[in-house]
Amino acid sequence: MIRLITILITFYSLQFYSQSYEISGRVTDMEFNPIPGVNIIILNTSYGDATDEKGNYHLKNISPGNYELEFSAIGFAKKKIKTSITNKSVKLNVILFPEPIKTDEVIVTAGKYEQKKSELPVSTEILYGSTLTERNFRNLEYAMRTIPGVVMTEDQISIRGSSGYSRGAGARALVTIDGLPFYTGDTGEIVWEMIPTTEIQRVEIIKGAASSLYGSSAIGGVVNAITRNISKFPRTMINAFYGFYDKPYYNEWDWSGEMRPFNGITLSHSNTFGDFGFNLSLTRLEDLSYRKDDFSKKYIGFLKLEYKVSQSSDISFLVNTFNKKGGSFLYWKDSRNALINSELVTTDRIETNRYLIGMNYKNLLSEKSILFIKGSYYRNNFADNGIPANTSTSHLYRLETQLTSSLNERIVLTSGAEVIPSKVKSSLFGNPDAISAGLYSVADINFDIPLIISVGLRYDYGKLDSLESSGSLSPKVGINYKLYDNLIIRSSIGTGFRNPSLAEAFTSTTTSGLTVKPNPKIKPERNITVEFGTNYSYQSLFEIDLAVFQNEYYEMIEASVDPLDGKIFFDNLLRARIQGFEASVSVNLIPGVLKAYSGYVYLNSKDIEQNKFLKYRPKHSFTGGMEFRNWHLGLGLYFRYQSRVDEIDNELIDLGIVRDGNLRVPVYQTDVNLSYDLVALNLPITLYFNINNLFNYNYVELVGNLRPIRNFSFGFNLIL
Amino acid sequence: MKLIKSLIVIFLIYFSFSCDQGISPLPVQPEVSGFEGTITFVSPWPDSITRTHLVIFKNPLLQPSDFVLTNIKFISNEIPFGVQSYRFSSLDTALIPSLPGPFEPGDYAYVAVAHQTTEEISLARKDWFVSGIYYTNNDTTKPGILKIQENKVTRNVNITVDFNKLPTQPPGG
Repeated sequence: MIRLITILITFYSLQFYSQSYEISGRVTDMEFNPIPGVNIIILNTSYGDATDEKGNYHLKNISPGNYELEFSAIGFAKKKIKTSITNKSVKLNVILFPEPIKTDEVIVTAGKYEQKKSELPVSTEILYGSTLTERNFRNLEYAMRTIPGVVMTEDQISIRGSSGYSRGAGARALVTIDGLPFYTGDTGEIVWEMIPTTEIQRVEIIKGAASSLYGSSAIGGVVNAITRNISKFPRTMINAFYGFYDKPYYNEWDWSGEMRPFNGITLSHSNTFGDFGFNLSLTRLEDLSYRKDDFSKKYIGFLKLEYKVSQSSDISFLVNTFNKKGGSFLYWKDSRNALINSELVTTDRIETNRYLIGMNYKNLLSEKSILFIKGSYYRNNFADNGIPANTSTSHLYRLETQLTSSLNERIVLTSGAEVIPSKVKSSLFGNPDAISAGLYSVADINFDIPLIISVGLRYDYGKLDSLESSGSLSPKVGINYKLYDNLIIRSSIGTGFRNPSLAEAFTSTTTSGLTVKPNPKIKPERNITVEFGTNYSYQSLFEIDLAVFQNEYYEMIEASVDPLDGKIFFDNLLRARIQGFEASVSVNLIPGVLKAYSGYVYLNSKDIEQNKFLKYRPKHSFTGGMEFRNWHLGLGLYFRYQSRVDEIDNELIDLGIVRDGNLRVPVYQTDVNLSYDLVALNLPITLYFNINNLFNYNYVELVGNLRPIRNFSFGFNLIL
Repeated sequence: MKLIKSLIVIFLIYFSFSCDQGISPLPVQPEVSGFEGTITFVSPWPDSITRTHLVIFKNPLLQPSDFVLTNIKFISNEIPFGVQSYRFSSLDTALIPSLPGPFEPGDYAYVAVAHQTTEEISLARKDWFVSGIYYTNNDTTKPGILKIQENKVTRNVNITVDFNKLPTQPPGG
């Protein structure tokens, strides 16, 4: 009997091996970057494998039958795929999508070193680079509108009500690219359109004052753009799109009689040769715009070089260039000519050339200490066609050294020093110089409870040309307490400050009906931020984040009209209080297939001396979206609501500069995204189609500036 | 399922609001009589200048006695020192008239930018210098006539000022 069983087992085993097949393929992210270390198991069997560095996997000796495979990796949503084997092996290429809910797994560098998002004492949002590509956000400014708590007034960012609108003079959020600050030396503005969105891996948005680490400008928060890692294999990306604006809803707005097109192409390549690697990309964008005198042609260059100096140190260089020729649309002629520049606008052409050159050096001094040295140079130049032309060239230099050490098992100490000189030559701002310097130290103390206390202090010195020098001390304390694995409580209190930009202090010009005069007495503005928040998640199905916050602003800088001479100037006018509540929810309705998310922010922003609302701060804002992904198809529906702002620049209307400027409505914007990847055909291409402003809803963020009307675009992303 | 139903209801409410088209063009407002234009300063401002204004005279300045208050129909607010251009309109607040509003239709013989160098403001003819004149039809040999029509804004009343090359001064200076 035993002999018979042995013969049968041998027979079936031989038959099994003679009829065994293999399931193999490649696992990548949405942009076809290989994901190493993905676990692949065939459910209800003992078969399994993990992807190698190139994202490849092989499941061998599989007998014919119907199977369900499960793909899982840290930071990505689990994916289950059914397949059957009949009489041949199966090739199954798979795309995994980032999993935003498992906050414990998300690593951020908001604290100037890598930390888990779940351990931060402040509210932080993550925006993935793949979203920028797929939704055709070729300007990071557009993507910022999708973040709860962030309101854009044209190109000016306001995090939890930090800013109104000051035509590019100064910003109350600090934008960095790979940790290098990204603002101009003259106006202190953020040039969003210069950031190469196809090269961004993720964007971290810190809400609330972060001056204790980042100094001036971080008074309202920080937007930290992290560029892609350099590929270990040759990787070429071609991304192109074409789109057009629909006809305006009202015939009298149809100034051109045609659907205005826009298009763009990006070529990028990444590779590593031994200890040396690079990312290189060139982008050309052209937009004929839905508005007259608003066309633009832009060229963005980006280069990231990385060299591994030794086992413990590496150095990277970053070059970002930007050239733009275009129109200059300031405000509409009137509501009947809402897409035509006002006849008061005297300069309608502008050319800008900007360069950012940066360096990041990292040295692992010991197992417990890392030294960072960062340097950058930002040159900004623009000229318009005014008579005589307005020109401005600024040079901003920056050098920072930072040491992050684990003093013991409980304390991580981050200390640093930076110096930022700048020089300006301008027909608008004169030829002023400025210098600022800062010293900072932040300790993150871990307790067993588990509790993390973060204590930081920064001192900044600032001197703007002939203005009196100033010193600012910015302390911050934060706590993060993990009540349960999935319930986190956080709280922080911190101060922020912002030196006035050279533009706010020294602008002297008359253009397009506006006369701006300098204010040599302007001083830095300051704030205190308090936040209390909590985060709860249930597995990877559900996450809710709640926060209440209060910001007290002292000597807040605002543009105002001097009643004595009718000229605009910047001054420390306001004592303001901004209170609010924020709630965001993410739900995986069908894990890995259908998810929904939304964010609501209530804002009560008051000039407490005059008991008036602050300009351009909506009381209610809501963002949301639903995304479906299956069968290589992606479908997204996104919406954004903002209540009608209470206060605007009434002076511009009273002076007759912006006709019908009082017209404003709540914002309702709806976008649709459709994508389809050709992975099933073994083609590394994703096709995408976008409709922005689906309902062709007409609204303004800034007086006399209608936001983009309905537009359609289609494109592809090819990775070789 | 309840959640999905709630989401659908929220979406429907949202979409119903989105279908409103938002901002729409306002009906045409009847124009009022008036003028608007730009002064362009093509040379640096001399430090000696203490004030500069746009001035409009009804009748030509043929003799010193024409430089009288009764002949002056418009004096702008002070033009900011050092500006490169200055936009003006009859609807701006001004020294004369004291309240902005429709400008009386008719012909105005002399429209000029004038400046002073005295510390105190003076209405004496000798204390004023004409720094730029409004010309029409590219004829710079004589001052242009500003024509204001009923219920219409006369646009492009543009004046160029070159402090290094002042125009012919009216009598009495």
